[in-house]
Order: sequence, then C-alpha cells, then structure tokens
Amino acid sequence: MRAETTVPDDQTVELNLPSKFGYERIAIGGLAEFAKSVGFSSPRIEDLKTSVAEACINAVQHGNKGKPDARVLVAITFKENTLFISVFDEGGGFKAELKDPNIERIIDNLDPPVGFGVFLMKRLMDEVEFNRTSNHLHEVRMTMKLTG
Amino acid sequence: MNQRPNEVKIESHGDIILLDIHGDVTAFSEPSLNSAYASAKESDPKKIILKFEESAYINSGGIAVLIQVLAQTRRNNQKIGITGLSDHFKKVFNMVGITKFATIYPTRQDALSAMSAVP
Repeated sequence: MRAETTVPDDQTVELNLPSKFGYERIAIGGLAEFAKSVGFSSPRIEDLKTSVAEACINAVQHGNKGKPDARVLVAITFKENTLFISVFDEGGGFKAELKDPNIERIIDNLDPPVGFGVFLMKRLMDEVEFNRTSNHLHEVRMTMKLTG
Repeated sequence: MNQRPNEVKIESHGDIILLDIHGDVTAFSEPSLNSAYASAKESDPKKIILKFEESAYINSGGIAVLIQVLAQTRRNNQKIGITGLSDHFKKVFNMVGITKFATIYPTRQDALSAMSAVP
C-alpha cells in the first residue's frame, strides 16, 4: 500500500500501520516531532495530534472495518509553510458529511454517541477533505498552516 | 496495541465522591469507568468529581464513554465536576459540549472547594 499522492523528499514522512486501535499513538508521536521541527507551537501540535488520531481511528473502524490484514497509511508533508497530512485506508469511505453530534440528544439517548472524530478534525484543522485515490484507497486529507 | 485497564481510585470528601482516573481514556475505558461509577453510586453521592491525568490521551471513543457516564449522572441528579485536564482537552471537552453537563475546574482543590460550597 503506497500513497501515490505524495512525493518522497526530506519534507515527507510516511508511516504504514496495522489497522488496529492503539497504533495511532505511533503516528501522532512521530507527527508531533515533525511538527515541532518545522516550527508549530505546542497548542497547535496538540490539535494536530487529536485530528490525526481521530482520522486513524476512523480508518480502522469505519474504513477498514476490522479487516485483519488491512493497513492504515499516514503521509505527512511540509511545504509552502503548510503541513499536509493524509490518512489512507483500504475501505469504501465513510459518511464524511455526518451531521455534528448533538450532546443533548446523545445524553437523552435520542442519538448514538458517534461523529466526534470528524467533528474534532473539522474544528481543529484548517481544512479537511475526504477523497478516493486513483489506487482505490480512501483518503482523509488535512492541512494546517504555520502561522506566527 | 493493547491499553491497560484504567486504574480508578475512589475518594470520599464529605458529600463528594472523587474518581481519580489514571491512564488514557478511550473506548477501552468503558468497563473501568462504568465499574468505578457503579461503585461510587453505592453511597448515593449528589456530587462527583472526575479527575484525569494531565498527560492522558483522550480520544473520541473515550469521550463517548464519558458522555454515557454523564447521561447516568444526569438521570441520577448528580452534579459533576471535572479536573486534571490539559489545556488542550479542556478546549476539546468544551467543543464537544461536555461543559453543558459538567463544570471544569483548574485544580482538584478548586473542584473540591467549589463543589463543597454548593448544596
């Protein structure tokens, strides 16, 4: 499994992970170091970590749907003062246009407690897109601009 | 990668029960947190403080578990305080609306003092 959309250079890092909960910790650890090295502040790095963790969790749960031999690929690139992060899974994609979770309805047992991952990604990152790649992978692509 | 079950220490402070939650909070925390709440409920507390570790990793799975605990506390008319969170997760808890059902305090002592002062 390879991310066709990235150009390998010294501002690009790719991680190929088992599709299992918990491995997103490896991705966010490496991401934090990379983001720190290019100048992101600690609060923004925490935003990045949460967003990428959620994208990986969604890839495992909703994208790869528990397939034992599936993988999750995380590709990180820094160019033009912007961090581009893509999380790829081998699934059919998931409902990216989920309505925001409504905590009152969830507390009252009117809605299931789902949707927080995409909700947080959209609020913590500058941009989030959901794509299908030419090599049939599902991609969540996120960006964060280095400011200040 | 397996997560160890959360260790939750239960403390009694007058009419307040404090649940001191150790470790990361994810979907795998459901048995530990539900068990801790069930134990806490035995003394019929009207006030409960959830204390987290500042270094804890909390993801959407953990948030969903916490919200399910808050649903139970709401049904049982219990006041909930939260403390110990990093600045980032204070922000996240506010974003997802947990602060509509619980008050976040800067420190454990602030939580105990403030909640002791209310009936």
